[in-house]
Amino acid sequence: MIRVLRGYAFTIAGIAIGVAGIVALGAMAERIVRFVEGGDRFVLGQISVAGRGMGMGTGFTAGGMLPAASIRAIAEVPGVSGAQAQVMLPLNPSTSQFMTLTQELVLGLDLAVETPNRHYPRLPVDQGRNLRPGDRHVAVVGASFASSRGLRVGDSLVLEGTAYEVVGILERTLTAPDRFVVVSIDDARQQWVAKDPFLRTVIATGVAPLNAADLNTGAAVGWREGEDPDAVARRIAERVPNVNVQIPSELSQLLRSSTAFFSALLVGIGVLAFVIGGLSLANTVAAAVFERIRDFGVKRALGATDLQLGGEVLTEALVVTLTGGAVGVALAMGLGAAVDGWVARTGQQLFLFSGRLLGGALVFSVLLGAAAAAYATLRVVRLSPAEAIRRGA
Amino acid sequence: MLEARGLVKTYRAPAGPPIRALDGVDLRVPAGRVAVVLGASGSGKSTLLNVLGLLEDADAGDVVIAGERVNKQGRSARSRARGRYVGFVFQSFLLLPSLTALDNVVLAARYGGRGGGDPRRRARELLAQFGVAEREGHYPPQLSGGEQQRVAFCRAVLNDPPLLLADEPTGNLDDANGRVILDALRARARAGAAVVVVSHRADAVTDADAVYRMHQGRLADAPPIPEGGTP
Repeated sequence: MIRVLRGYAFTIAGIAIGVAGIVALGAMAERIVRFVEGGDRFVLGQISVAGRGMGMGTGFTAGGMLPAASIRAIAEVPGVSGAQAQVMLPLNPSTSQFMTLTQELVLGLDLAVETPNRHYPRLPVDQGRNLRPGDRHVAVVGASFASSRGLRVGDSLVLEGTAYEVVGILERTLTAPDRFVVVSIDDARQQWVAKDPFLRTVIATGVAPLNAADLNTGAAVGWREGEDPDAVARRIAERVPNVNVQIPSELSQLLRSSTAFFSALLVGIGVLAFVIGGLSLANTVAAAVFERIRDFGVKRALGATDLQLGGEVLTEALVVTLTGGAVGVALAMGLGAAVDGWVARTGQQLFLFSGRLLGGALVFSVLLGAAAAAYATLRVVRLSPAEAIRRGA
Repeated sequence: MLEARGLVKTYRAPAGPPIRALDGVDLRVPAGRVAVVLGASGSGKSTLLNVLGLLEDADAGDVVIAGERVNKQGRSARSRARGRYVGFVFQSFLLLPSLTALDNVVLAARYGGRGGGDPRRRARELLAQFGVAEREGHYPPQLSGGEQQRVAFCRAVLNDPPLLLADEPTGNLDDANGRVILDALRARARAGAAVVVVSHRADAVTDADAVYRMHQGRLADAPPIPEGGTP
């Protein structure tokens, strides 16, 4: 077997390069897909409500301030199971961070209330612990946030002049929470005031009757079993004044359409990779078979039947393609790890080598290799042994 | 025994007239006899050998080996007949470069063997008989031309085929190595095989029981070989 593989070294290298291209581009597509799916899962797990108007809030809570009275009113709407006050702020509200997809966010949670998101009742913690009621000046940070700053559990993080102890690091989700700093809502409110001079002026002058509990950029709202979340969201919009309610299915649609360009681009690249990589692979395998046309002629001269030859070629093609595919996968993963290691300094991850991608690429390459080998073999066995020997010479 | 009757083979080219490589060839070679077919390049002698060995189909005519009309059978049956009845010795040896000398010889048993005995042991015996036992682990490019032809000969006779066909077997060899191969062909005939050698070299006829001349697809000067005649 080793001798056979050695004889096919160039073929294996050719297949490996084709498969590596497919897997690398596929891994980039998977990365985007995971981001979109993760965001979709999050928004479909809760009803997001913000105050009407424009304010500091960002992400799912973009909109105006949502006073405590509004949150209480939301909780009273039939079908609502709970409403958690939240503050979501850009960590660095400068123009260089306007891109929501890559923005680092501070998320303040009212820890006295259960998080009502059905899909993320608790953000998954990889190291350390999650936040607890009563926590102050401690933070749980996203995986990308931590890696870009070299943060570990127990480290100190300064936010708006205040030191926070990192008590937990979230699992890498490849979605928005990777860039979150999660703190208690009181800490988040403190940061909000520190970030926003206008808000400080409003509070100081007393022109608006505000207290700390009113400083919310939004609320995550849950629904009772058996309720239609879209219907509950519309009910909230009807019954509670001055709120912006995100209808879960509409928000999902919005998220998908906002990433549709990237998705289409990646799908296009993926298809292109499959076509180019697939053609390269098929061509390499077929060429390898045609290269040995003289050997097949000799074997037929020795008495090999079409079936015996076909079986041999197909077996060799499968072994060679599988080996080339495995080498290609390893090549792509090595390349991806190197690139991701390099971009990790900025908290990025470009590749996602999912099981379905790797399995799919291997199955695809083996099937294509087998098809190409079968095609080439059929062409070869149609020749008389003498003709095969002549052509091979 | 080999018997060919009325063999016709025409090659059609995309341009120009068709070439009649075999034009009604009859040939009979009893077991234990060596027949040599001489002819210039392009006379049709290699085509004749290919058709006799079922490497190529004739347009018309019959090939009978060991009493079996083999060229009218289906593809698989013809392949099996080739492995069972025919051993080939080619001018350019046609060893598989990815296999060792020993594995090249054993290859014949994989496709044409009758299933009995130990082909590797038999292959080693043959390699030893032809003085290339110490080269059994070498690959063809590591062997001299004479050594390659001896290995190819071992492969041709591994299954003890009743018909041995040699196409210019000494064409790429020096005199000494050529003599070894011609002697070996004669020995196979003595062991009961029908042997057909095509060549353009006169030295090939030294041990022949019959010499045929091929010209424009026809066999000339083809005296019949008597059954039981003395070489």
